[in-house]
Amino acid sequence: MDPMKAQQLAAELEVEMMADMYNRMTNACHRKCVPPHYKEAELTKGESVCLDRCVAKYLDLHERLGRKLTELSVQDEDMMRKAAVGSG
Amino acid sequence: MAAVQVSESDQIKQFKEFLGTYNKVTENCFMDCVKDFTSRDVKPEESSCSESCLQKYLKMTQRISMRFQEYHIQQNEALAAKAGLLGVPH
Repeated sequence: MDPMKAQQLAAELEVEMMADMYNRMTNACHRKCVPPHYKEAELTKGESVCLDRCVAKYLDLHERLGRKLTELSVQDEDMMRKAAVGSG
Repeated sequence: MAAVQVSESDQIKQFKEFLGTYNKVTENCFMDCVKDFTSRDVKPEESSCSESCLQKYLKMTQRISMRFQEYHIQQNEALAAKAGLLGVPH
């Protein structure tokens, strides 16, 4: 695959991933912060503050795990390459 | 020509998202509000619960969207600062 195309595809996949992440984050913070009581239509102050914090933490965690995951998969790749060379 | 194409596919994407939200909120509020299966009629408390549920859900998604955008603006500013684009005397 030519590098331009590969880059474009990677960018598209990343956009898709962000959209998916956004949906999951919405779900997660909904479950964590909004108890299913629904006595009123407004968000309470507590729920609002919880949502703000939830979004911040979710995005932070997403970043950290992304970095760690990249690190681990690079290590993994190295290991496999060395194993392939060794068995050749 | 290209601009028209972009806005059409954006519109479709928006509509698709709207439909998705519609389904999600229905399922969600049904699960949380509808408890009485002794009859087919939606009870008044189930109806008012669902309505509050819907409104609350929409307010929640608005707030999350706001915070998410703020986060990205912050990220972009941080990147721009790193690249030395901010604070350039002019």
